[in-house]
Amino acid sequence: MADFKTKPDELYKSIDHTPPKAGWMDVPAQFRPGNWCYPAKPEVLDYIGFPNGRKWSPADEDWKLPENWKDIIHQGFRERLEKFRSLKIFMDVCVRCGACADKCHYFIGSGDPKNMPVLRAELLRSVYRKDFTTAGKILGKLNGARVLEEDVLKEWFLYFYQCTECRRCSLFCPYGIDTAEITMMARELLNLVGCNINWIQEPVANCQRTGNHLGIQPHAFKDIVDFMVDDIEEVTGKRIHVPMNEKGHEILFITPSGDVFADPGIYTFMGYLMLFDAIGLDYTMSTYASEGGNFGLFTDNVVAKKLNAKMYAEAKRLGVKWILGGECGHMWRVINQYMDTFNGPPDFLQMPKSPITGTVFKNAASTKMVHITEFTADLIKHRKLKLDPSRNDHFTVTFHDSCNPARGMGLLEEPRYVIKNVCNNFYEMPAQTIREQTFCCAGGAGLGTDEFMDMRMRGGLPRGNALRYVRDKYGVNRMACICAIDRATLVPLADYWANGVDISGIHELVGNALILDGEKEREVDLRQEPLPGKEG
Amino acid sequence: MDLAQRLVEERTELATKWLDLLLQTYPEQTQKLWRRNKDPFTNPVGQTFRQALSELLDLVLDWSDAEAVSEALDKIVRIRAVQDFSPSQALSFVYLLKRLVRERYWRELEKAGALNQLWNFETRLDNLALMAFDVYTKCREQVYEMRVSEVKHAQHKLLLRAKMIVDIPAGKAEEAG
Repeated sequence: MADFKTKPDELYKSIDHTPPKAGWMDVPAQFRPGNWCYPAKPEVLDYIGFPNGRKWSPADEDWKLPENWKDIIHQGFRERLEKFRSLKIFMDVCVRCGACADKCHYFIGSGDPKNMPVLRAELLRSVYRKDFTTAGKILGKLNGARVLEEDVLKEWFLYFYQCTECRRCSLFCPYGIDTAEITMMARELLNLVGCNINWIQEPVANCQRTGNHLGIQPHAFKDIVDFMVDDIEEVTGKRIHVPMNEKGHEILFITPSGDVFADPGIYTFMGYLMLFDAIGLDYTMSTYASEGGNFGLFTDNVVAKKLNAKMYAEAKRLGVKWILGGECGHMWRVINQYMDTFNGPPDFLQMPKSPITGTVFKNAASTKMVHITEFTADLIKHRKLKLDPSRNDHFTVTFHDSCNPARGMGLLEEPRYVIKNVCNNFYEMPAQTIREQTFCCAGGAGLGTDEFMDMRMRGGLPRGNALRYVRDKYGVNRMACICAIDRATLVPLADYWANGVDISGIHELVGNALILDGEKEREVDLRQEPLPGKEG
Repeated sequence: MDLAQRLVEERTELATKWLDLLLQTYPEQTQKLWRRNKDPFTNPVGQTFRQALSELLDLVLDWSDAEAVSEALDKIVRIRAVQDFSPSQALSFVYLLKRLVRERYWRELEKAGALNQLWNFETRLDNLALMAFDVYTKCREQVYEMRVSEVKHAQHKLLLRAKMIVDIPAGKAEEAG
């Protein structure tokens, strides 16, 4: 008879559940399904003039890099260090104090030390030290320097595409190092050897071709808007006119295309249209500047500049006085921090002034572009809107500060002011998870693609955790946000971490509460769900 | 020796050690941060594990409410199901309790000729592992479902709104025309 002598640890010996003890430089990047995004298609790269397009997969051993890839990277690094003083400072100034270490949503959710912002930046810095500093050249590893080998490049690809450029870590850095810009530079270097992702490059190519990320052509864009006008009529009984590509209006309205084609963004779009109708705004939309977002920001500064240029070009062509912008995230980082030097100042435009209240938006004196929650908050403050917040009584609302409007432009009070005026039930998530300290949706910076779902759930954990808390404590069932990427990526995030909470933009809630002149008695909200008290 | 009684008496120490073993499945730098920070919102993984393992231990000792056990498991497994673990690594924490209990009480029970108490308790842990497996599978299925629905949803709605396809109208085909 066989002997079944059991040793105490035999059962779980076969499972290696402890991580390696080696230093971070000696732990190679692990590509697993769910932690990387699909590479860009070669034809897409060709179209936008990016080099070294090819069919390859991060999961393969051979990445089919160009033969002289090391020289290409070295040269590209040198050029950027000379061109961007900020990059040189960010490479030199970090003292590795660790203040940022546990601030990244990806680190918090995954526990992977290379998601610590300090270590992520160190992936680039180690090569910088080796190639561009005397101490690094001489002392090598002792000075935290290392030679750029293929494994290092693979590590760059993995981890710089595990950063959403949300800048939560920068908030805690005593030197104010902008880690988003470090990621931007690393992605630019990766572009040089054809290592980039399709979820970014294809929207960039589409945007160049049709003016928006999805490649919606002008007639289809108009059809979609008409469809929404139909829906608004069904809900309110009122037919709304949406001016498109019309010259001679006062304002050009630009919003992310996500509001036009994706649920639940479209309900926010309907809210905009209803608002403009209610106040009789003299505006037009454009099928050419049909995209407020700018995926160029996630891949290359020259491309970002090019895609951004259409906003001013179209404002000029249509002869408007100023631009009103919709609820978008990174669009506002571009507008607030880069547009002025990219393509400004737009002297042909005028200082934005609300035609309804007379308020002058001096904060937009230079860019000539106003955020719609600033605009709407001002309308409400001056009592220019007829509102019935009880139409949102079926919602208990919380607000997710979208990273870029919060940290990139300090837009913190206006969205809350609007929500509190159009909803009766509003509760904040815990203080350490909102406003400047807000947690990312984990799908920004071009990472909101389905093959990245595991990583998105990891990175979405801190937001989801705070959301679950207010769901359980106050019965929150709706999370409002002011970013089109949020409106897409927060949906599965909420499903997984705080089931039962729906996502919406703020102007969807405005649209529900807004009383239009001559409207019929409403039975349903913008999603055509029964209003409170009308369920029968 | 009464194992059940000892487990109840020493539950606080057991919970601490179980948490310690669980945290050891993460890199050292991570463990340090997750042990130190007691804020449930800036350290959701560390604090959820701390709270949920303690709760789970009590439920295992009590062993009367399957639903509650499953809910407590969900808190831990939901996190580990989307982290960088193989399925066996993700669920190893159940067997870490098995190891803890064996190492602590094996010799004593053997001496007292009462090893059967250990086998009885371990049966519970085997059941716990199977329950964890169910929760894990449910979480993974949800991730895949979300992937599919994200793609399906976006494409269908877009085609509809661009008026390239139409929905079936209400009523029977003959009546609707």
